Amino acid sequence: MHNRSSLRHSPLCVALLVVGLTACGTDSGGGTASQPTTGGALTYATPVEPDCLDPAVSARDVTALVDRNIFDSLVQQKPDGSFQPWLAERWETAADGRSYTFHLRTGVRFHDGTPLDAGAVKATLDHAVDPATESRYAAGLIAGYQGTEVVDPHTAVVRLDRPNASFLQALSAPYLGIQSPRALQGDPAGRCDKPVGSGPYRFVKWEKKVGVELSRNPDYAWPPKDAGHTGPARLDSLKITFVPEDTVRVGALTSGQVQAVASVPPGRAKTLGGTVQVLRAESPGAPYTIYFNSAPGTVLADVRVRQALRRAVDLDQLVKAVYFGQYQRAWSPLTPATPFYDDATKGAFTFDQAEANRLLDEAGWTTRDGAGYRVRDGRRLTLRWPHTADMERDQRGLIGQGVQAQARQVGIEIQYTQVDQGTIGELIGKRALDLFDVSFTRPEPDILRYFFGTDSTLEKGGGNIFGLDIPGLDKLLTGGVSTLDQAERTRLYADAQRYVVDNAISLPVYVPTSLVGVTRDVHGIEFGAGAYPLFYDAWIAR
Amino acid sequence: MISALRWLLRRLALAVLVVLGAATVAFAALHLAPGDPVRAVIGTLNPSQDLVDRVRVDLGLDQPLATQYGQLLGRLVTGDLGESYQLHRPVAEVIASEIGWTAQLAMASLVLALAPSVLLAVTTAGRRPALRRLSTVLELITASSPTFWIGTLLLAVFSFRLRLFPAAGGDGIEGLVLPAAAQAVGLIGIFTQVLRQSMERALDEPFALSARARGTGETALRLRHALRHALIPVVTLSGWITGALFSGAVVVETVFSRPGLGRTLVTAILGRDLPVVIGVVVVAAALFTLINLVVDLLYRVVDPRLREQAA
Repeated sequence: MHNRSSLRHSPLCVALLVVGLTACGTDSGGGTASQPTTGGALTYATPVEPDCLDPAVSARDVTALVDRNIFDSLVQQKPDGSFQPWLAERWETAADGRSYTFHLRTGVRFHDGTPLDAGAVKATLDHAVDPATESRYAAGLIAGYQGTEVVDPHTAVVRLDRPNASFLQALSAPYLGIQSPRALQGDPAGRCDKPVGSGPYRFVKWEKKVGVELSRNPDYAWPPKDAGHTGPARLDSLKITFVPEDTVRVGALTSGQVQAVASVPPGRAKTLGGTVQVLRAESPGAPYTIYFNSAPGTVLADVRVRQALRRAVDLDQLVKAVYFGQYQRAWSPLTPATPFYDDATKGAFTFDQAEANRLLDEAGWTTRDGAGYRVRDGRRLTLRWPHTADMERDQRGLIGQGVQAQARQVGIEIQYTQVDQGTIGELIGKRALDLFDVSFTRPEPDILRYFFGTDSTLEKGGGNIFGLDIPGLDKLLTGGVSTLDQAERTRLYADAQRYVVDNAISLPVYVPTSLVGVTRDVHGIEFGAGAYPLFYDAWIAR
Repeated sequence: MISALRWLLRRLALAVLVVLGAATVAFAALHLAPGDPVRAVIGTLNPSQDLVDRVRVDLGLDQPLATQYGQLLGRLVTGDLGESYQLHRPVAEVIASEIGWTAQLAMASLVLALAPSVLLAVTTAGRRPALRRLSTVLELITASSPTFWIGTLLLAVFSFRLRLFPAAGGDGIEGLVLPAAAQAVGLIGIFTQVLRQSMERALDEPFALSARARGTGETALRLRHALRHALIPVVTLSGWITGALFSGAVVVETVFSRPGLGRTLVTAILGRDLPVVIGVVVVAAALFTLINLVVDLLYRVVDPRLREQAA
């Protein structure tokens, strides 16, 4: 079922290949032990703590990381974007794309002993969309969900009010992992602290601000098809601890106090060496992108100004300098790890300040004021870029300052101002900004519709915060989500990516990359579709 | 006796006012700060309006500010601190589970700071000019070093390199040593300066002279007589020390990944978890006024002159 021979080489390399990754670490030293061993405890230190372990409630990445070990999904997404059986042995999609019939695997039991049946699927999905759950993310993933029909104990039919090509991807995410129906019936108050799924690890305890402890589920026998082994997980226990300080996390790893850490600072990734190895996985979804407010009446409504801004900044250099060559520069509005990513957008334009100046002259911003900024009809060429440090990761402030400094060289003033989270919400509400920066992890090209679709404006709960209405793009994106034909989707999403780049609708900056540090005796860590590490196959050499 | 009772009652009433005042300031500050706590609680970039409305009603944030303030005071008077927005648990329970960690850290830091300070003050007050000068320089350095930096330094040496102590999350004594030491370092400088100064003053007093005349040795004189006097200003500083230990906990608990009130407060402020912020502020203010009250009470016991003044 799975490829034994590749395991004999280096499990870590396999991990990297799974997510289609570049550097496959020089795995020397103790790293090539051949036979996986059972037992031992692994501690993984991560900077952020989950807010709630009920996957239907939380929207945090770290919740997916923890819950993936506790919950199984109906289907699993493969790196190429296709899906394979997991808790659902097989499934059929209705011709109109509005209903899915899942045939469930038999013999699966939740950690509380309840057997998996169609009722559990119904309970999980109903729970996610129940307004009382106050879901921050899962409910949005299955927007259009109408209900689940329990045909027999092992057959469930899920109905949608419209075709949704991203539906299986949504179901494959940990946020919609199948929960024990008995646990869902219990006291809603404690649900955040008592996740009950059918996954390879059982929840033991969550000591707030310290860590979550999981132990091996000895009955586990239903991993997804291409997992590295079958049967229970190899580790006795898995501890996920919360260590907010970067230096402390890395220090704990190099001194062997923990076996794996999340978010190795890019500057440290190369210097770690020795007993430690860094695994990389590029995040799928939208790269870290500067979105342009090109709504009618704005400065950026003029495509020449957008193109000029793009050409004014030497992003190659900037991304390399800030991230020490660890993160790739982004070109497409989708990252390379996203299904339907199109490589053709690479190198679509060059850093060329002379051309930027020419475009700005052509757009009528010909004169300069005392401060050297361009002026047209007595108005300075100013772009407002509010940002908030609360949500900032990866030293994005440095990127912002770099863009600001280089835009200045061609006479564009960027007001890169730091405000708090509340103010930014207010400014977005009033559309009183020209630039906005964010990244978004989801292995699904429909993320483009979230940022650019006319049906995803702020009012409709989407990420098209500027209310852009771009008919040419809109058609491609609604087409992409409404068809289940893979070839058609490939074409539509390739066109959409090219459309965004050709029309300078946004400025993709870099590909967020998960840098996971592990000690050399740790093997078998693979990455899930969301670029978080998976611990089912993990083992520690002794 | 009656006068003492009246004094105590008045002070207690004032203490209640101080605590309510602190709660009011926290409430006002949190509501004056721009930004919608409902969105902060939800935490996603762009939640649907339905969800926002629902959470707003759940948290009672749809009420007018005056009503919210009234409810807050009403709850505080009955000793109810409300429920956390983000942790979905009663605030009193959250604080109860965290305060032990911070108290443990504070006590350990205090002991680790006082012991070397007393030693330094006793050895250098009014003698050994070379050592005294060296100590003064060190005091200045430690008092002005940021706890964050000291903590990282201690970790780098004693945890990452020597592997004597855990870097994060160790419970028990070995998990307490480094955080307490990081916090103590800054206090040592201040304590030593205060102690030495007041010890030098005590050594000039007539009782010191008469003790010397009786043939008491220099070290015995310092330990048995002068030290007691020298400790009084430290008692005076108790309120300040409480504050310093609490604000230090904010940094130390983050650096050492320890649970505790400091880290709870930071997380709550960032996530705009108003009930938790107000709860922690109220508890800190109550503790602060209580300690000051006890100190004043002790003064009256120690120094009869104050009793007459208060009448």
